[in-house]
Amino acid sequence: MGRPTHLTDADVEQLGAELDALREEVMNSLGKEDARYIYRVLNTQRFSELAGRALLFAGILPPAWLAGTALLSVSKILENMEIGHNAMHGQWDWMQDPALDSATYDWDNTCPGREWKHSHNYMHHTYTNIVGMDRDVGYSILRMSEDQKWHPAFLAQPLYVLVLAAFFQWGVALHDLEWERLGKDKSYAEALSQGRDIWKKVRKQVLKDYVLFPALAGPMAPFVFTGNMAANFNRNVWSFLIIFCGHFTEQAEMFRIEETESETQGEWYLRQMLASSNVNGSVPFHVMTGHLGYQIEHHLFPDMPSNRYREIGPKVQAICERYNLNYNTGPFSRQLGGVAKRILRMALPHRRKRRGPMPSSIHHKQPARA
Amino acid sequence: MKPIIRKALKSSLAESLATPLSVDHYLGLIDSKLSVDEPRGRIAEATRQTPDSVTLTIEPNDNWTRPAPGQHILFGIDLDGVRHRRCFSIAGAPDENSLEITVKRNGDGAVSNFLVDNVEPGQLVYLTHAEGEFYPNASPPARALLLSAGSGITPMMSILRAWIAADELPDVVFMHYARTSADMIYEDALDRLADEQPSLELVKRFTSADGRISADTLDAAVPDLDERMTWLCGPAGFMDSVQPLLDARTTKPVFREQFESSRREAAHGEGEVHFVQSDVAASGDDGSLLEIAEQAGLNPPYGCRMGICHSCKCRVTEGTVRNLRSNEVQDIRDTDIQLCIHAAAGDVAIEL
Ligand code: FES
Repeated sequence: MGRPTHLTDADVEQLGAELDALREEVMNSLGKEDARYIYRVLNTQRFSELAGRALLFAGILPPAWLAGTALLSVSKILENMEIGHNAMHGQWDWMQDPALDSATYDWDNTCPGREWKHSHNYMHHTYTNIVGMDRDVGYSILRMSEDQKWHPAFLAQPLYVLVLAAFFQWGVALHDLEWERLGKDKSYAEALSQGRDIWKKVRKQVLKDYVLFPALAGPMAPFVFTGNMAANFNRNVWSFLIIFCGHFTEQAEMFRIEETESETQGEWYLRQMLASSNVNGSVPFHVMTGHLGYQIEHHLFPDMPSNRYREIGPKVQAICERYNLNYNTGPFSRQLGGVAKRILRMALPHRRKRRGPMPSSIHHKQPARA
Repeated sequence: MKPIIRKALKSSLAESLATPLSVDHYLGLIDSKLSVDEPRGRIAEATRQTPDSVTLTIEPNDNWTRPAPGQHILFGIDLDGVRHRRCFSIAGAPDENSLEITVKRNGDGAVSNFLVDNVEPGQLVYLTHAEGEFYPNASPPARALLLSAGSGITPMMSILRAWIAADELPDVVFMHYARTSADMIYEDALDRLADEQPSLELVKRFTSADGRISADTLDAAVPDLDERMTWLCGPAGFMDSVQPLLDARTTKPVFREQFESSRREAAHGEGEVHFVQSDVAASGDDGSLLEIAEQAGLNPPYGCRMGICHSCKCRVTEGTVRNLRSNEVQDIRDTDIQLCIHAAAGDVAIEL
C-alpha cells in the first residue's frame, strides 16, 4: 500500500505485532466489570425510553414535551451508538447473552441490522477510506476526496449534507441498495429482495413511532408524534456528526485501490489509523458517541468492547508517536470544522489529484523512532 | 404475573410497541426473572450434602412447566460476565413448584466448581423447558431396578419421588455406587425413604470398600433382574461395564441416560470449513465444527457441547458433514445442525 515513506516493511510489521499484543491483552481480561458496564447502559437506555415516552403522553405541557423528547433522544442515541452499533460488531458476543448477540441484534433504526452488518461491518470496516471501495466515503452522494471525479452537481453538496444529516437513518437504510451499481454489476432482483427487507423494517419503525404510540396517547397524539419525530431527528443529526468526524476531518487520509492491494495485517492497521480520527471529550460524551470518539481504536479493533477504548486510547497514541504517525485527535469543534472545510473544498473542482506519498509522511519528516 | 397481564404483554400490540427489542427487555427493568415466555428462576436454597456437590432449589417464574420424571434442563448462569449453559438432570418430583438439581464438582469445570464453592441463594438463573425420554412410561412397571453411579443418582431421585408422590411406588431395587459414604449425594434422603417405603430396597455400594460393580454383586443384590425394567445412569465407564451385564441377564427394557461425551467418535474431519458471514476459512481437520469455529476466533453459542441442548444449532448453507455420535455422513443444504456433534466430511459452508 502507499504508506508513509519513513516506515520500512519491518517497522510496519512490528507495529502490527504491537497492536496485536494490545488487543490480546484487553480481550483476555474481559469479565464482570465489562458486563456490569453494558448492563448499566442497557438499563439507562430502557429507563430513559420509558420515561421519555411517558412524559410525551403529557406533552401538552411544554416542559413535559421538552423533557420527554430529550429523554427519548438520549435513549435512541444510546441504543444506536453504544448498544446497537457495538453489539452488531460482535463486541459483546463473548458474554453469550442472547440480548446482545451480534447474530440476532436488531437496532431501533430504519436500516435492518442484517443489511447494516454488510455495508458497515464488512464493506466500510474492511475497505476504510479506499475511494471506490468504501461507500461510506461520501455515501455515494458527496465528494470527499480529490480522488473522486468532480462533477458540477457537487457544487450543491453543502446542501445535500444538511439533508443527509436530517434524514441520516434513511440514508443508512438505503445505503446498501448500492443504487449506483444497479443494472451494472448488481441485478434489480437482488436490490428488490433487499428493498423488501428494508421495507419490512421501515414499516415496523414507522408504525411504532408515528402510528401506535400517538394512537395510544389519544388526544395527546400530536405531541407524541412530534416528540418522536424530534427524537429521531436529534439522533440522526448526532450520529451524522459523530460519524463524519470519524473519517472526514481535514487530516483523515484517503486511499486509492492500487495503494491497498495485497495489504499485510500491519498495513491494514496502519490504514485504519490514518483513515480515522478521534474526538476528545468527557466520559458521558464518549458513551453518547458509542465510543466513536475513539474512532481510531474502534477501527483497529472493531470487536473490542467499546468501554475499553478509553483505556487503550493513550496506548495507541503512544504507539503512533513512537512510529511518528499522526494520531488524529482534537476537540469536537475543531474536528467538525475540518469536516465542514473538506465538504466545502471538495464541492469545488480546484484540487488536482494527489500524487506521491501519503500526506501523513508530509506532516512527519523525521525518521521513525530516532 | 396475572394471566390478563401476560396476555396483554404477549399481544402483537405490545410486541409492536417494543420493536425492535422485545417486551422482556423492558420487563427486566422491574425484575430480571420476569419474562413473557422464557422460564427463568432464582436460586432459593443451596445445600451441600457432600463436600463436592451442591443441591440447588430453584424457584422458577410461572413460565416453567412441570417436567416429566427423569428429564433434564439446560441451566444458564452468568459468571464473570459470561452466560454459561450446562445440562443437569432434575432431581425433584415433577409436581413440585420448585425444581431441584444436584451438581457435582467436575474436574476443572468452571460452572460446577463455582456452584459447589460459591453459589448463593438469590442468584438469577436461566432455564429451559425440561426435555428427555429417560422415563417414557406413563405408569410404573411392576418391578423396577434403578441403577446409578455418582451424579447419575439425580434422575433416579426424580423418578423415585414421582412414583412416591403419585402413590404408585412399585417394587423397586435402588442400587447406587459411590466412592465412599461421604461422597454419596441423597444418602440421607434415600435412607429415610427406604425406612418409610416397604417396597423400596436400597443397595448402597461404596467402591473404595466394596469394589466396582461385577456380575456376582449384581446377581446377589438383584436375583430377579430378568423381571425388572431397568433405568441406568452414571459416568461412561460405569455404563459401559454395566451394559453387558444387563444384556446377559435380562430382555426387559433398559433405559439409559448419559451425560458424558465419550460415546462421541473422535472428532477429526476433512475438507475446508467456510464461515460465510464472518468470511473466515478454516481447515476442517481438527475437531467438531464448534471447535473449529472457536479456533477461528468465532464465538458461537453453545451449552452442553455433547449434542443435548441444541444451543449450538447453526445453519449449514451447503456441505458434507459427519455426525460424531452415529458416524453417519450426510450431504446437506440449508439445514440446521448442532455444531458440537458434527465434523466436516468434506467442504462445508456455515452461516456464522
Ligand atoms: S452445545 Fe449443546 S447441542 Fe451442541
